[in-house]
Formats: sequence, structure tokens, C-alpha cells
Amino acid sequence: MATLTESRKRELRRDLEAIVGGGAVLSDPDELLVYESDGLTLFRALADFVVFPTSAEHVAAVVRLANRARLPFVARGAGTGLSGGCLPAEGGIVLSMMRMNRVLEVDYDNQLAVVEPGLVNLHLSWKVGPKGYYYAPDPSSQQACTIGGNIANNSGGPHTLKYGVTTNHVLGLEVVMPDGEIVWLGGKTREAPGYDLAGVFVGSEGTFGIATKVVVRILKKPQAVKTMLAVFDHVDRASEAVSAIIARGLVPAAVEMIDQLTIQAVEDAFGCGYPRDAAAALLVELDGLAVGMEAQTERIVAACRDAGAREVRTARNEAERALLWKGRKSAFGAYGRVSPAYMVMDGVIPRTKLPYVLRRVNEIVAAHGLRVGNVFHAGDGNLHPNILYDPRRPGEEARVVEAGGQIMKVCAEVGGSISGEHGIGLEKSDFMPFIFSAADLALMQRLKNAFNPTGLCNPGKVFPTKKSCVEVGPVAYQPHAIEEKGLAQRF
Amino acid sequence: MQDDLLERLRTIVGAPNVLTGVELSPYVVEGRTPDTAIFPGSVEEVSAVIARVSELGLPVIPWGGGTAASVGMPSARAGLVLGLRRLNRLVEHEPGDLTVTVEAGMTVGELQAALSGRGQWLSLDPADAERATIGGVLATNASGPRRHLYGTARDLLIGVTVVTAEGAIVKGGGKVVKNVAGYDLPKLFVGSYGTLGVIVEATFKLRPRPDDERLVCVSFDRLKDASAAVRALMASDLIPNAVELLDATAAFGAGGTGGALGLGRTLAPTPGAVLVVGFDGLGEQVEWQCAGLARLTAGLGGRAPQALASEAWPKLAQGARAAFPVATAVMAFVVLPTQVAELMEQGAGAARARGLAAAWAAHAGVGVVSAALSAGHEPSEPAPIAAVLAEWREIARAGGGLATLEWAPLAVKSQVPVWDDPRAAGRIMQRIKAELDPKNVLNPGRFVAGI
Repeated sequence: MATLTESRKRELRRDLEAIVGGGAVLSDPDELLVYESDGLTLFRALADFVVFPTSAEHVAAVVRLANRARLPFVARGAGTGLSGGCLPAEGGIVLSMMRMNRVLEVDYDNQLAVVEPGLVNLHLSWKVGPKGYYYAPDPSSQQACTIGGNIANNSGGPHTLKYGVTTNHVLGLEVVMPDGEIVWLGGKTREAPGYDLAGVFVGSEGTFGIATKVVVRILKKPQAVKTMLAVFDHVDRASEAVSAIIARGLVPAAVEMIDQLTIQAVEDAFGCGYPRDAAAALLVELDGLAVGMEAQTERIVAACRDAGAREVRTARNEAERALLWKGRKSAFGAYGRVSPAYMVMDGVIPRTKLPYVLRRVNEIVAAHGLRVGNVFHAGDGNLHPNILYDPRRPGEEARVVEAGGQIMKVCAEVGGSISGEHGIGLEKSDFMPFIFSAADLALMQRLKNAFNPTGLCNPGKVFPTKKSCVEVGPVAYQPHAIEEKGLAQRF
Repeated sequence: MQDDLLERLRTIVGAPNVLTGVELSPYVVEGRTPDTAIFPGSVEEVSAVIARVSELGLPVIPWGGGTAASVGMPSARAGLVLGLRRLNRLVEHEPGDLTVTVEAGMTVGELQAALSGRGQWLSLDPADAERATIGGVLATNASGPRRHLYGTARDLLIGVTVVTAEGAIVKGGGKVVKNVAGYDLPKLFVGSYGTLGVIVEATFKLRPRPDDERLVCVSFDRLKDASAAVRALMASDLIPNAVELLDATAAFGAGGTGGALGLGRTLAPTPGAVLVVGFDGLGEQVEWQCAGLARLTAGLGGRAPQALASEAWPKLAQGARAAFPVATAVMAFVVLPTQVAELMEQGAGAARARGLAAAWAAHAGVGVVSAALSAGHEPSEPAPIAAVLAEWREIARAGGGLATLEWAPLAVKSQVPVWDDPRAAGRIMQRIKAELDPKNVLNPGRFVAGI
């Protein structure tokens, strides 16, 4: 990627200002720094410009300009991603979608909403909440992350066990294609004849184009919710309980696991009432009809006890429920109490392999002379080992990265995946061959060519590639700006 | 077809698995006979066959149970029917993982029977489950009434293996229920009608079988009232697994069919419509919801709910076509749920105006509608049939919906396009097709946008 000359830069800045307006273009290196990384601060890359479009026409015009100037471009939401997916890996233009944040339409009768991509995930549930509806995908950064970012990564969250991930809730999208054409993929109806382009677009990590409008499903809030905490003296027993619950014919809304290191960190920091001496705890939530809730709760309690739980607590009211969830949701913040830095891993395994894989994770991390806290979506088999380390100690971060790679290998070996919700981005592109053959990747590349033949739209992501233009770790961990403000947690 | 090619194919799959001549009669579509039909016994054999024939540019027509073989335009060139029926093994089922991996030629019925023994099921209930294969159901995106709660193939398929147009064996997705590594190839192949690759293996997420399940129907004198009941149901706390709206012809049948519900044999038809609702869960939940439905519908002009036998489920999956002994044409629609009743009402009027009988059935909660047209036993002129179908499509479009001509004689199909024009998205579809099947050998000309 050739560097732009100063005069060419001034020229391009004028062109961009002509499209989005004077106050909506950044090109000063100090201002661009804010956009040099996402929630995974391991990777940094500086854009030449950051622009703030407010309409699909703006986005299309910027994309056409980028094509003419042969500049790479990438869309960015709140920057809470955890794989470097929205980084301008080869310079060029970052399109911040944060000013396109309106709810354009809510149709309660048809249970759908049309929103702009910069809308914060939780704000949609706030908007439709008074009428008894909500937007189901609930990534843990939902107070900050945007619907557009969720689409790029096909984001999940604790409640995906029962309700599915982002792709299960998107009906259609208006997209600016990598050549600047504005196209609708899908729409408001359930399915359209032809290839499922909306389905393919969701999770394409910003490499197929830029969504400018999104039609999402909204769901009726459940009549009743029941939240339990099952406490175990052995991690293996807790792991086994996950499959035992499923075997009783129940699909809870969420089944989350929290290990001892994490429980102790949480208790030190926030005092949520988790037993400090527990080896692991399962947070189980049921939702649905009020009728039958007691009977289902009894089944869960019995499954946990049979699997060896020493205690199962049930939240008796909303305050107790909130406290149990606080323990889960504040885990990442709590690691700050026990370690100067941590790196969150994201891998998926078949549920039944949990006992084995958790043992392997602990062994791998110990062999690298490090500690790990586990807090994750156990019901989905979606692991989030958090490796604690001190970036000031030379070589420690490199060991974290190496341990992370080995953990991903274990996930792949047991038939799992190298990402459940954080995406491949820059972080894991070189791990793709763990689970995909050259032929598999070749087909994905052809699909990409159909959408993005020039490769200018978010280059350097998803596929194994040399990270030549990006400054790659070992750079010291820094909390993301929104973490510092206490707005979001890493999951 | 050249003899040396036939010989080569026989060496790959074994002579008894290559059909020619009169043996091909079950594979004739719209009067067009394929050159041969070939039945590989393994994924590797599928790969070898496709590699060989695609090199020669011969069309390949993937074939599962043949239940949707006449959907779409028939291939303009003769070619080779690639039967997947011998790929019918259950590869892996781990109940604790709630996932299953199967070969594409297993029927939905066979899979459900295998899963049922272990207390689980694939929450997909397409029509003709005893004949429809997993690969065919995926390729045609077939679904049934329970899609209301459990979604369609796109929501359940977590991994897929396909053989590409060049014969490469390619995997997408995986075996775990949550996975964002790489592009979502399973979504690409669902509903692709065999035009991008041949599905040979699939991995699904499963659900535990519910303790109890019940199907109840409520008759209304007016379609409008039944439609209001659907809306009230959707806004209520009830969680139905199916919400079906049928007009009188679909519900009670014509020509002694008994209709989708078989009600025609036991009940005097009501002039309006029938709402059919399914509930599952614990016994007490089903009980409570049935009572809730009775209260909700009574205030809107519904008769007392009546329980239906479980045999009604597969008939509901067939939609409107079950209304007639032989339907002349069947059209499928997607519209907003709130537009369903209007489409049914106006569509029925359009058929009546031309003296044709029509039946309408809808998965009303999700806006998926089917309509069957019958010209009776008379040898039918294509013109009035085509006129009604074109009018139906216009009605759907006016409400922001889409129509697909699922079944009609070729004479009608030549007047009414099978597929709606996908507009600008069609160009992206064409580019995907050109990338994945540059020689245009997989089901050429059958699908949307000339694909």
C-alpha cells in the first residue's frame, strides 16, 4: 500500500468533505489514533481518513470515491469487536457508522423493526420495550456495540442458546456494495426466491459491503423468567451438568459457567454472593410461559444435583436475579483486580467435550507459566478462556498468544470451531487452516470475489495472509476507551 | 450419451447404478428425459462423477426424493440425473451435543425415526417427509407448519458438505451450534436449488422432543375474523408452534379429498375460514395454552376449538394443494403476516371471476402462503390459468410480497414466470453462480434470474 502524498491527501479530503460535509472527515493523525484499534488492542493500524456518513447515499459516494482512488475502505461501528475486524489493515478510509443510528420504523403487528447500522444494540430493546418487545441477540457489549457491527460478526450473547444468533434475527438489509451500488438483500418478508444473500452477508466481517439499513425481528418478552445458580466442587461435574440439563429435554435460555478464579475475582471486586470456595458455578436461566416454570425449574435442579452440584440457588425476585447476572457480567472487569492485563479467547466445542477441553485449557495455560479464568456460554459450548498476564514482563504476551493458538488447536481437534462470536478478523486469519481445507477456503474466496472483486472492501481479513501492513503485537495491553468508561465488558 | 462416458461412469459407481433407456421414466420432468441417471454410493463417487461430466460441460441435475423435481424451469439441455438416494447413512448423532450429521440422501422421515428413539428431533417438518431427502429439503428450502416457532433450514443447518461444479469436496460451517469462522456457506446452499453445488452431507442442531403436543382448530364464519384472531394470538403471551389459516376449500377439501385437515369427511363446511394452532411443551403448558386460545377466539367469532389428530400435521405441510385431487397449478407467496388475509381474499376473488376453483392455506404467523388452482377434470386451456396466476402475483407484489409458481404445466410456465425478478440482487446471484459454476453445468436455467 503506497503512502498518499500530502497534496493527494488534501485533494481527497476535499472530495470526502464534498460528500459528507466539513465536520464529518478526520485526517489529522492525532484524531485518527482513536480509530487505530478495536476491543482487541493487540493490533493497530492507522487510516488515512475517518468519515461519518449519515445516509446510504453518503456511504455509496464515499465507496465510489475509494474505488476511483483505489483506496481500501472499511466500515466501523462502536469498535467493540475483539478480532481486529474493523481495522484499516492497509490504510485508506474508515467509514464510522455511528451517526446513522436511527430506528426508522417499528412494526409491532409484523414483529419487525427497520434500523440504521449505527444504532446501539440495547437501544433497540429500549425503544420497543414499553410495548412488551425486545431484540433477542444480546452480546455482552450490548450497551455500546451497534447492530451493524453485530451483523458483520454475526454476534451472539448469553441467550443465543435458545434464541439463536444475529443471523436468525435479520430479515433483510440495504447494502452499499463494494462497487458503490445500493442493493436490498432480503427484505421484510421471511424469504425471497433466490440465494439467501442476507444470510451470507451476515457474518461476512465487513468484506461483502456496508449495511445501511437493517430489518430485524423483534420478539415478545417472555411471560416469566427463572434464574438459578448451581454450585460445584469440581469443574468436571459442572461441565457434565451442562449435557445433563440438555438430556432432560430442556433448552434453557442461557447456561453460563464461571470458574473459581473468576468467582473469587468477582467476589473481591463486587460481592455478588457467589461462594468463593466453589470450583465452578453454572448460571442457568429459563424463560417462557409462567405455567410450567416450576416444573422445569425442578428438572434443572434435579439434573444439576444428579451431576454433583452441592447447592442450587434460585433467584426469588428481580433483585436476586440481577445480582446473579452481575456476577457473570462483571467478570471481565473483575479480572483487572487480579491481573494487570488479560486476553480473551473465543472457541467452540461440542458440549460433551467440555470436561476434557477445560482440563486441556488449564494444562496449556499452566505450561506457559500463566493463569486462566473461564467464564463462558457453556450451553453452546462457546469457551472464553481469559489468560491473565503482565504486559510489562518481557515475552509474556508472546506466551499468551502462543497458548491461545494451542487452545484453538484443541478446539479444532475435538470437532469445534476457532470462533463462536468474536470473528476471525486479523486475529485468527492464520488459524483458519485448523478447521478449513484449501478447497473450503477457495470456495469462500470465490464467494468473496462475487461481492468484492477488487478486494478494496476491508482487505486483509478472514483469509490466511501475511500481516505485512499491520503492526502486530507484542504491544502492551491497553484497555479500550469504552472499557475505561465502564461502558462495556469483554466476553 | 457417448458409450465411452457411460462406461466410465459405470466403473465409478458400478453398472447397476447407472440407468438408461426405459429405466429413466421416473426421472422425466415436463416431458424431458435425461441422458442417464446415476446413483453414487459415496461422497467420493459423487465427486468423481461430477468431475468427469462437468469437464464435458454436461448438465448435472441433483435428485433426492424427486418431490420438488418439477419446481422451476426444466433444464434446456438434457443431462445427467445425479441421484443421492444411496447416500443415506446417519453419520453421527451425539444426543448430549444436540447435533446430528447425516448424508444428503436420507429421507426426513428416516432421520426423524432415528432421532426419535433418543428423545430428539430435527425441528423441520416439510411435506412428503417419507420421500423428501435431507439434501432436497435443504436445496429447496422446504419447511412446514412448525416453522412458525422453530424457523427453517437456515436456522437449523450448522454445517454442510457439498461437491462443487468441478467435483471438489468442500465443507462449510462445522459441527458446533455456534460458529462464526469463515463465511456462512450453509446459508448459501439452503434454497439454492442445486445450482451452486451438490449437497452430500449436512449437520443440524436438534431439539429435545417435547413432552406433549396438540393441534386444535377453530372455525370462523368470516376469514376476516379468523385473521383478527391470528393477530390477537401473535400479540398474546401464548407461544404456538404453528399458526395456520385455511380457507374453506383448503380446510374441507374439494372432490372428496377432505382437505388439508380431513375435516371434509366429518364436518359440514363453514363458509369462512379455519384457524389451526399447534402447541407443545409440558402437559400443563399445552393445556393452559389451549384454554387460552379458546378464550381468545371465542370473543372474535370463533366456534369451539376442536382437537385434531396428529395425522393433520403432514397434511398442513402440503398446504393448499391437498385441497384438490389434482391441482392444476400451485403458487407460493411470502408477504407480511398482516397481509395474509387480504391476499387470500383477493386471490380467491380473482380465481372466482374466471370460473376457477382455488384453495388457500397459510403459515399465517410468518406470512408464508400457498394457493392451489383447479380447472376440474376438463382439459384445461392455459390462458385463463395463466391470467389468474399473473393476477395473484400482482396482488402479492402490491402488498410488498413475492410469488413463486411452484407447480404448473409447462404451457402455463411459459406464460407466467416461475420466479419473481430479484431485481438488483439478481446480479449478485448471477455473479455468485458464475464464480461457483463457471461452465453452468449445475441445474442450468432452472432458477431465478436465468441461473
